Amino acid sequence: MNGQEQTTGHVFQIHWIPKYTFVERLLHWVHTLSFIPLVLTGLVLYLDFLKPLAQGEAGGWMRLVHRLAALLFIGEPIIYGVLQPRRLWMHFKEFSFDRDDIGWIKNAFGYYVLGRHGVMPPQGRFNTGEKLNGVAMILGWILFVITGVVLWLGKGVVSADLFRLMVLLHDLTMIAAVCMFIVHLYLAVAHPLMWAGLVSMRFGVVSASYAAEHHAKWYYGPKRAKELYEAKKKAVLTKG
Amino acid sequence: MVRKAMLIDESRCTACRGCQVACKQWNDLEGWGYSHTRNTGSYENPPQLSPQTWTRIKFNEYEGSDGFRWLFLKEGCMHCGDPACVHSCPTAALKQQPDGRVTVQPDLCNGCGYCTQFCPFHVPRLEVSSLLTGQAKVSKCNFCQDRTDNNLIPACVKTCPAQALFWGDRDKMLGAGQKRLENLRARGFQNANLYGENLVGGLGRLYVLIEKPEAYGLPADPKYPYLASLWQDIVHPLGKVAMGGSILAVLAAWLIIRRNIKMEEVE
Repeated sequence: MNGQEQTTGHVFQIHWIPKYTFVERLLHWVHTLSFIPLVLTGLVLYLDFLKPLAQGEAGGWMRLVHRLAALLFIGEPIIYGVLQPRRLWMHFKEFSFDRDDIGWIKNAFGYYVLGRHGVMPPQGRFNTGEKLNGVAMILGWILFVITGVVLWLGKGVVSADLFRLMVLLHDLTMIAAVCMFIVHLYLAVAHPLMWAGLVSMRFGVVSASYAAEHHAKWYYGPKRAKELYEAKKKAVLTKG
Repeated sequence: MVRKAMLIDESRCTACRGCQVACKQWNDLEGWGYSHTRNTGSYENPPQLSPQTWTRIKFNEYEGSDGFRWLFLKEGCMHCGDPACVHSCPTAALKQQPDGRVTVQPDLCNGCGYCTQFCPFHVPRLEVSSLLTGQAKVSKCNFCQDRTDNNLIPACVKTCPAQALFWGDRDKMLGAGQKRLENLRARGFQNANLYGENLVGGLGRLYVLIEKPEAYGLPADPKYPYLASLWQDIVHPLGKVAMGGSILAVLAAWLIIRRNIKMEEVE
């Protein structure tokens, strides 16, 4: 599309460029692997048709799995931060927002839901939606850990009022997280335009043409990305 | 079904603790173990309710105008008309019977302990068998469910030698309590009151007290915890709507985008 592919004879070549490091992908999948059992064992206390799994001995097993998965869930970002503090700091900087993000949000519905090929403002390694998701996940992690630790160890230690609040907040965080997870899963495995995300998360690479199209600021650098964006916009305007 | 209640006439209680013994004997609870007897500077024993002590006499030391006296209080589950423990229980181990008794079915309990935290009277107790895994069972007074199911009166009522305990239809218990109150007031107990008629949906455990509830260490105005209503009646239903809505929205989005985008055009 952007001249990144070269055809040699009849072979269609894709240039793969690295997007996620091995440790980043490991973090993502360990997070997934702890989050899913946490949700499943937590939902038994919430959804009525799962109630038999919460009762008696079964409920005890659910709690054990929940707590083991919780250790993984709590530990994994901390270990990441200890092993690669610079990389973690880089993520925080990546999660900064500017005017392009407002443009992205304005066009996102038409682009991702209706499939209209509009001109999107250039994005960094993470687009606005991914950044919002990332920020929400960090906040969710903090809330889950604080409320979860109180629920685990705080019974009879903290006041009943605080414990009640923690129960409520744990559930609210869970509801928000599950809703986000549903959308995240859809975008990753079912959305026709987003196929590249799953490939990147599995193998760590992205095709150069996809990166140029979707992550221009990261691929070209902010200055060139802006120029290309303005040119593209002009072309669309004159055409229209 | 007619609501049942226990009437406890604290003006008659002599703190013989026969009810404590009868409760442990009938319900097969350990006499020691959980709360070791120790000198706390009071005749109180054991020091508090526990998984093995479902009722106990609390010795309140009270300094009135006529000097020191004890105010005895038979502690235990209040069997609220609006039981927060039942509503916060995720396993349905705690139930409110049609006649108002709040009972525990131990084999359903998974030991989450929410009831211990949501009870406005801090009554249910967890028997924790493993701190690490959280293996536990809750227990509390169930008005001797096995006896009362068979038209027998609770063990503590049966045994009380001071005739301070009564069991029967709640209306009758309220009537008897009011009558006793008149009697007490006529004899000069001006602060005498009936505790529990309208509290937390109406308690199943009614007290005739000769002093204000605070003197007994009872909350004057216990409330159903509002966080429990927020949690169970608002957040949980809305959460289900949000999750179901997310799934439907994603499905709809998928159908729309599949119609609007031809896969051949996708790079």
